[in-house]
Amino acid sequence: MEPDVAPLATLAQIQETPSARDGIPSELEEDLRAYGAKLIQQAGVLLKQKQVAMSTAQVLFQRFWYTSSMEKYGIAEIGMGALYLASKLEECPLRMRDVINVYDVLIQRSRQSTSSRDFKYEPMSYFSQDYYDMKDILIIAEMQLLKRLGFDVHVTLPYGTLINYMRVLNLLEDTKACQMAWGYLNDALQTPVYAIYPIPVIVCASILLVIRHLKLEIPSSQEDSPSWWDLFDAPFEDVWLVANLVVRLYRPRSQSDQNRVMQLLTKKDVRRWLDENA
Amino acid sequence: MFVWNLIVVQGMGCYFASDHCSTRMTDQDQASSVARKRPKSVTTSDDEERLSKKLRLSQNPEDSKPSLKSKPIVASYAPAQRQSHPPIQTSRSVYSYERLNQIEEGSYGVVFRAKDKQTGEVVALKKLKLDEEKHGFPITALREINSLMTCRHENVVRIREVVVGDTLTQVFIVMDFIEHDLKTLLSLMPNPFLQSEIKTLTLQLLRAVNHCHSHWILHRDLKTSNLLMNNRGTIKVADFGLARRFGDPVGVGGMTQLVVTLWYRAPEILLGAETYSTPIDIWSVGCIFGELLLHEPVFQAKGELEMIGLIFKLLGPPTVEDWPDFEDLPLTRTLNIPPPHPPTLRQKFPYLTASGIDLLSSMLTYDPELRTSAEQALHHPYFTESPLPKHPDLFPSFPSLAAGEKRRKAFESPSAPQRAKGQTEYDYV
Repeated sequence: MEPDVAPLATLAQIQETPSARDGIPSELEEDLRAYGAKLIQQAGVLLKQKQVAMSTAQVLFQRFWYTSSMEKYGIAEIGMGALYLASKLEECPLRMRDVINVYDVLIQRSRQSTSSRDFKYEPMSYFSQDYYDMKDILIIAEMQLLKRLGFDVHVTLPYGTLINYMRVLNLLEDTKACQMAWGYLNDALQTPVYAIYPIPVIVCASILLVIRHLKLEIPSSQEDSPSWWDLFDAPFEDVWLVANLVVRLYRPRSQSDQNRVMQLLTKKDVRRWLDENA
Repeated sequence: MFVWNLIVVQGMGCYFASDHCSTRMTDQDQASSVARKRPKSVTTSDDEERLSKKLRLSQNPEDSKPSLKSKPIVASYAPAQRQSHPPIQTSRSVYSYERLNQIEEGSYGVVFRAKDKQTGEVVALKKLKLDEEKHGFPITALREINSLMTCRHENVVRIREVVVGDTLTQVFIVMDFIEHDLKTLLSLMPNPFLQSEIKTLTLQLLRAVNHCHSHWILHRDLKTSNLLMNNRGTIKVADFGLARRFGDPVGVGGMTQLVVTLWYRAPEILLGAETYSTPIDIWSVGCIFGELLLHEPVFQAKGELEMIGLIFKLLGPPTVEDWPDFEDLPLTRTLNIPPPHPPTLRQKFPYLTASGIDLLSSMLTYDPELRTSAEQALHHPYFTESPLPKHPDLFPSFPSLAAGEKRRKAFESPSAPQRAKGQTEYDYV
């Protein structure tokens, strides 16, 4: 197998992200990353886009925050740019207007999430200034993604690797296990793991979660024989950490925590929050 | 007579990246990812390793379970695994380079020769045309950059980085500077390449094409002006401006028929096929092979109809036997098909050996299904019969037009001493 050349963050970047340097607490950054990625997935579903494009977009989105700060770029604009860019990369380009309309819905829905009224969507008119503003934002966001990632937008997706590993572990027939592992891989897109770990580690983490969840029996942890993750070249502590990061997504959150990210979609929102909480 | 000109341009001898490639689609073929080779890192330093030890979480696999309350992200770190991955980094500015001279200007943009201010290496800068884009960053430019990054190979021009200017419309691809392109070289060379040299060049070209195809990239514009050649007998495939990824089955939603320069265009595209794949690149390789032998392009047509006519003339018109799909192609019915006659390859290439003719006709086969693949062609007996391919180091070198070099003038050697005027004829002193 040829080595995977997808770029990964350096230790220095992981230790102190650009957002952290601008005073954004790591927990908030984590939440914003997760929410931004979720928006990409939702927009993709609404646009009936292929999952490969959504996944690629989310990986680019996660990478972006290792070179750029959330104080300078908003998660909505970058997410929108990432989805638009990834659709070109995966040879299934989207119309700019469709992307903008869908993001407009999602942004309005987030904004209204705190009010008690039912969600009411007001579409923008065809030639409105809002549309042209959004269009400029989208073009600039796409360009910034390219520029701030050094144009290295090569993304390796985990799905093929998962199928191989499941086959090696004789789990390919177990539809439930496969489905679940696939789901964990998709959920992991909301965490930064695709920007900090190579694919085998992430795939092993998803399998580990499935094995524990379904209480499957798999030869491992014998004193003298190697465990199954060794077979796939994944160090256990890395696998363990990725599994933890994924599981963290499901922890119970307070209502205020959940509402907070929905109001911080743009850099202006984030700056205001920083001023208020300084 | 060649003037042997020994030019060594700095920054050209870097081929280390050849085995440093990846693909996302071939993953499925390779079930065992155990024990992969890892090239040495460019990025990980000792400092990082030290940090990594500090950061490593000491979790015991036996007695712990994934917990909901684990600490926020710190990284455990496997330096060995990380080494093969490049870091995430932003684009540098174009001002890191000093502009030297303009090499060429095409429809896609301008190419400059430039010097890296830090290292002094000479590189080629290709400026992308981005003005008046209605759909954001052009997908063709994305494909070009991505293909170049995916297809790193000794015989593919090496992309170093992508740099940006002051505004969002200034983007430059930085590549190794290579002295010649094969088209200009062929037109300036006084003598055609020798058989042994043609074998070396064709082999290199086939290796590059094989590499691209195995990484699911179609080049779609192979021709002599897109083949660069250095002064050490190595050619590099360049200009991936029309390249794109393909799948199996080929493309979702079809692919454009506006590909490949006319003279190198395969018959299935000329006849309007809606899907095409790797065989179109092989046809182009066949045309290039023929061009090296003839010292001029094989099919020099002015329009598509004339092109089809020339192909029919050289290979004989296709029959349903040798190309079953021929009759179903959209444009076939619009053609007047001449009466059948045998191929005239032998007359056109009188000095080529029988196996050479066999290789050429296997690449210029009508039916894309039956056309040879790059991998098969690499093992063709033509390359193992005498004369054997010449070692690249033994190739002659030429003055580089792109670097602004000129052929040295013949010596003006001083003439024999002449008798000074006014001296007497019997002056023996």
